Amino acid sequence: MPSFDTKHFGQLSFESQDTIEFPRGLPGFEDRRRFLAIRQPRSAPLVFLQSLEDAGLCFITTPVQAVEPQFQLKMSAEDREAVGLAAVRRPRIGKDVWALAVISVRETGPTANLLAPLVINIRSLRAVQAVMRDSTYSHRQALPAPAEAVCS
Amino acid sequence: MLVMSRRAGETILIGDQIEIVIAHIGRSRVKVGIRAPRDTPVIARELKLVREENRAAGAANPVADWGGLVARLENSPQVSAALPDKGIARQEAAPKN
Repeated sequence: MPSFDTKHFGQLSFESQDTIEFPRGLPGFEDRRRFLAIRQPRSAPLVFLQSLEDAGLCFITTPVQAVEPQFQLKMSAEDREAVGLAAVRRPRIGKDVWALAVISVRETGPTANLLAPLVINIRSLRAVQAVMRDSTYSHRQALPAPAEAVCS
Repeated sequence: MLVMSRRAGETILIGDQIEIVIAHIGRSRVKVGIRAPRDTPVIARELKLVREENRAAGAANPVADWGGLVARLENSPQVSAALPDKGIARQEAAPKN
């Protein structure tokens, strides 16, 4: 079983069939193609996407529904083809694909990129960052305020 | 911002080297042809936003405030069905802080 140094989790063993592959990389990281999804109960619903080619690169992501429960996934034909779903006109989250939003932590508060979710084919683990067509979703959607901030 | 009206097939010139052709006008979308020197990057604006956003996210502080993120998301509707259960590192790892 191969193992790998990660940014946050020390050295980790993984099954090679669990590798998530982005054939085109991600915008800004075109040569980073292989990732591992890491999840732990105490940081749910966060999913850490660790690059297998660069130990220092780990995206913090969350399923899009955690930010936008009614999220509507619309993929271009090109993006569907990239994940091997050319024939599936409307891929369903949880059935055909997972959709993860990349979280950015900035001084003004954390935001999630709903404009371009990471879409992973559940069966083949081929993935693409799908920039949504005709979409009103923001690339910097503020995360809801923490629960304790409501009652003061 | 300069606004010009053009019909399908008509062209706009930007400087000497860049040519924009309105190739097709559909109901809610236009197809635009662009002729530009090789060293002039041409991308959709969304892609630039996504690239910048990825770089910011990828460069983030190694120990981001996970607890704070979880507190913001834990009251969200059940998302377990939407979570990967394949492609997950087997080892139950504790973060090194």
